[in-house]
Amino acid sequence: MTQRTVIGSLAAAVAAVFVLVGGPALAAETVLFGGAISQTGRYAEPAGRQVNAIKLWVDEVNQRGGLLGKKIELRLLDDKSDTQTSIKLYEKLITEDKVDVLLAPYSSGITEAVANVNERYHMPFVAYGAASTPIWEKGRKYIFSIVGIAEDYQKGAAHLAKQIGVKRAAIIGEDSLFPRQSGKGAADWAKKLGIEIVLQENYPQKQMDFTALLQKIKAAGAEAIFSNSYFADAAAQIRQMREQNLNVKLFAGTVGPGLPAFAEQLGPTAEYVLGFSQWEPLPDVLKHPGMKEFIASYEKRYGEKPNYHAGGAYGALQVTEAAIKKAGSFDKEKLREALASIDVRTIFGRYKVNAKGMNDHEGVTFQILKGERRVVWPEKWAETKAELPMPEWSKR
Amino acid sequence: MSRREHLRNLALIVVFGLALAVVPGTVSVYLRSFLMFTMMYVVLALSWNIISGFTGYTSFGHVAFYGIGAYACAILVADHGWHWIPTLLVGAVVAALVALAIGYPVLRLKGPYFAIAMLGAAEGTRVIATVWDSLTHGGLGISFPNVENSFPTYYAMLILMVLTIAVAYVVGHSRFGVRLNAIREDEGAAEALGVNTTRYKLAAFGLSAIFPAAAGGIQAYKVLYIDPPSVFFVQITIAMALMSMLGGKGTVVGPIVGAVLLYTIQELTWVNFPTAHLIAYGLFIIIVARFMPRGLMGFAIDRGWARKGMVH
Amino acid sequence: MERSDVRSLYRLAGFLVCAYALPFVVGASNGNVHLTERWLAYLATVVLSGILQGGVYAMFAVGLTLIFGVMRIINAAHGEIVMMGAYLTWVSFFHLGVDPLLALLFTLPLAFLFGMVLQRVLLDGVVGQPELTGLLVTFGLGLAMIYTAELIFTTDFRTIPYAPATVQITSTIAVGQNKVISFAMAVAISAGVYLFLRFARQGKAIRATALNAEVAMVCGINVRGVYLITTGLAAALAVAGGALVSIQFGFNPETGVVYTLQAFAIVILGGRGNYVGALIGGLMLGVLEGLVSLMVPNGTAMVELAAYGLMIFVLLIRPSGLMGMKEA
Repeated sequence: MTQRTVIGSLAAAVAAVFVLVGGPALAAETVLFGGAISQTGRYAEPAGRQVNAIKLWVDEVNQRGGLLGKKIELRLLDDKSDTQTSIKLYEKLITEDKVDVLLAPYSSGITEAVANVNERYHMPFVAYGAASTPIWEKGRKYIFSIVGIAEDYQKGAAHLAKQIGVKRAAIIGEDSLFPRQSGKGAADWAKKLGIEIVLQENYPQKQMDFTALLQKIKAAGAEAIFSNSYFADAAAQIRQMREQNLNVKLFAGTVGPGLPAFAEQLGPTAEYVLGFSQWEPLPDVLKHPGMKEFIASYEKRYGEKPNYHAGGAYGALQVTEAAIKKAGSFDKEKLREALASIDVRTIFGRYKVNAKGMNDHEGVTFQILKGERRVVWPEKWAETKAELPMPEWSKR
Repeated sequence: MSRREHLRNLALIVVFGLALAVVPGTVSVYLRSFLMFTMMYVVLALSWNIISGFTGYTSFGHVAFYGIGAYACAILVADHGWHWIPTLLVGAVVAALVALAIGYPVLRLKGPYFAIAMLGAAEGTRVIATVWDSLTHGGLGISFPNVENSFPTYYAMLILMVLTIAVAYVVGHSRFGVRLNAIREDEGAAEALGVNTTRYKLAAFGLSAIFPAAAGGIQAYKVLYIDPPSVFFVQITIAMALMSMLGGKGTVVGPIVGAVLLYTIQELTWVNFPTAHLIAYGLFIIIVARFMPRGLMGFAIDRGWARKGMVH
Repeated sequence: MERSDVRSLYRLAGFLVCAYALPFVVGASNGNVHLTERWLAYLATVVLSGILQGGVYAMFAVGLTLIFGVMRIINAAHGEIVMMGAYLTWVSFFHLGVDPLLALLFTLPLAFLFGMVLQRVLLDGVVGQPELTGLLVTFGLGLAMIYTAELIFTTDFRTIPYAPATVQITSTIAVGQNKVISFAMAVAISAGVYLFLRFARQGKAIRATALNAEVAMVCGINVRGVYLITTGLAAALAVAGGALVSIQFGFNPETGVVYTLQAFAIVILGGRGNYVGALIGGLMLGVLEGLVSLMVPNGTAMVELAAYGLMIFVLLIRPSGLMGMKEA
């Protein structure tokens, strides 16, 4: 009886799944876009802004009358910031829901795993949430990138450090795929520019106390810190530097300082911190077409200015739209061809990928000055000159 | 139970396996993955049950063995070019050795102390996987070459599951199992009766580490990218315990029922209610643990729907 | 004290000496130890900061040890209550404009109430059950709390820029104002709780119940009432801990687990149900983490390993910890 119970319950489960995920019936005039993005879990914050941008774009396209005469139906699933869940959901989207166009997931780690799935089914997409080069170094043909590479996140900061005569620097960062790539890039740039790296160390995720690490940096005599970090760790580092009265000429974070909460919640402590951004909502500086309209409608709908995560997702969808129009159909092979060859300007910047599928996107380095993020590098986009070296804590 | 009944039950397990063997050709890739992961949780819950259900020693860090298996597979396949099947054996052996090494001292601890020590051991294993960069690539994770893996992983998991059920069944109905139960009921008395409890506990612990390691390896080959936080995830341990408890821990059938039921419910709910689903999951854990400590099997036994002897 | 008990205490002491010596030995063999005045100042900063940090961790670990001691329940949601405290403080600071320390005046009673409700609704039914029941119930509670917080506050990180300046102790040693304030608060609250447990009637009842619930019941102590106060107190301590970490670190709904694990390690080190033990354990762990991080190569990553290693070894050498009661 008991073993039969098992078979019975399993059969029931299978049947239930069949019924429930049988796939939505689609009217002929709609086209299904689908993807799995983290709406809960550790990536929910940045990924959530990409979800915002995606929804905005879909509504706008539908208002314009759709794409190739078809209304877009959107199917966004939540991968719980978990790799295993994500690949399962992409299999579902491709084989069960039979989406016509695939959207990318968020984070380098999850994209690395998902890239195998869409590759197998020849479903192309433009990644907007992954900047780690190894993803594009495996000969994959169906994944394209719109964002700049992780290795260049500290490029601007390294150049600024060189300008103010920094000779010795420390590189620290969280021990996970993306921060480690940007740390590797920071080391390469420093080497190229003749800056000696006196300390390089990774710390575990969720690390909050950096006292000892900062003392080690002090002991090593570093004049600049390149911190490949997210929000909580970067905030803790700069706060603890102030607490311990540790002065350096330059402190550059990567993702953290770009979030509005960084300057808002840290107040004066956040001043002079450098950060990297793939994109900033500055239409007069970046001058990409359509930026003003995008920023206005995003702000109207969500009550905040879009950050670069939102901008990247929106830009990637503009690329997809242009490629579909160029291909003249939703056929996945034709779409792939178009994505590989198209040259298009979006609100995010120019999109034109190399043979590996990577876009040569250039981001900006900004500095927090009087609570605002001001672009200071590259020079062609600089709003103001960087105020470096950072003044000592006691003199602020 | 008579010999005939045992044979019949084992035959049922085999038939059950064969039935699942013809399924994959007829369903979509996604459904195949779903079934594969369901079977994985059956393996995990049953294995956890061998140590924690049968002996009452709550392993709150069983995910360590799953993670070790995943890493054994990833390292050997991606960095050393092995075929993936033998790596499952390597993972199982390594996990069993680690289990014996951890278990020898830690299984002396009783009750909550054992649970906390195992939690510490699992977290410690995760940290080692993160800092042992030359072997594991640390936080970078390990990426496999892309392969078509839907059928192979399905069948590997199916075989592993049938094997695990068979072993759990045999253990549950053997003198070995009786002694494990004696340890759970009263370890002191069992010792007084001449049972070498340390040896039995250790054997059960080692056995319970083998299958999760193999499952972790198959899982890694399915996902094709692993990093420490994703394979040493505390919630996997929780799922093992919860599934066993939901079905009825200390029985053979209970963890199977619990795993299938819970995994299916989760699959059906979360897609539509991301955050709310997780709150509901938390409340569900509370309700099961608080009000159904003997699980569905206990419920069934009380009502005479299942015979106690058959399921322990 | 029995002789075997004394012996295990000696062994534990010996182990701890080795544990503290190890970072120095490893550091020295890697050229990370320099007996210069400058380096000693770094060392002093790290040790001092470890003590300040440890004091705060110890305070909320006391909550965990109380529940564990009195009811034999491992509260896996302790860190989530800490997180709740951080959010309460954040809301009162950013939305009501209340000073984080003043906010304790109303967040602590609120937390006490929360603890009592928790006890009545959930934990009363768990007392006396196998440890797995308590672990799962509280873990489930923790999950529900995490995702409820996500619904309300999203997963964005928050932090409170309170007293961000520095306190210069010598010309080379400086620590954060917020750390000093947090530590002072933690000491004050801990002292208050100590006096309560030592001298107040209910406090004595808590200790008696922790020693032996049955005997306590025979002596006419209202054990259910004691449970109620214990969990209320534990929740209040966790929320106070949350307030004190919120002015130092960033937090989001998922950061609670870090504090749960820290508190586990402290409780194990100090000894189950032992109040003073938890305080000493907190300070010791804080200092050890600092030492490892400073001297061991790739030390920041090794800190966690040191904490878990310490926890396991203490369990093996002497499950009752530094000052805990022997398990009956």
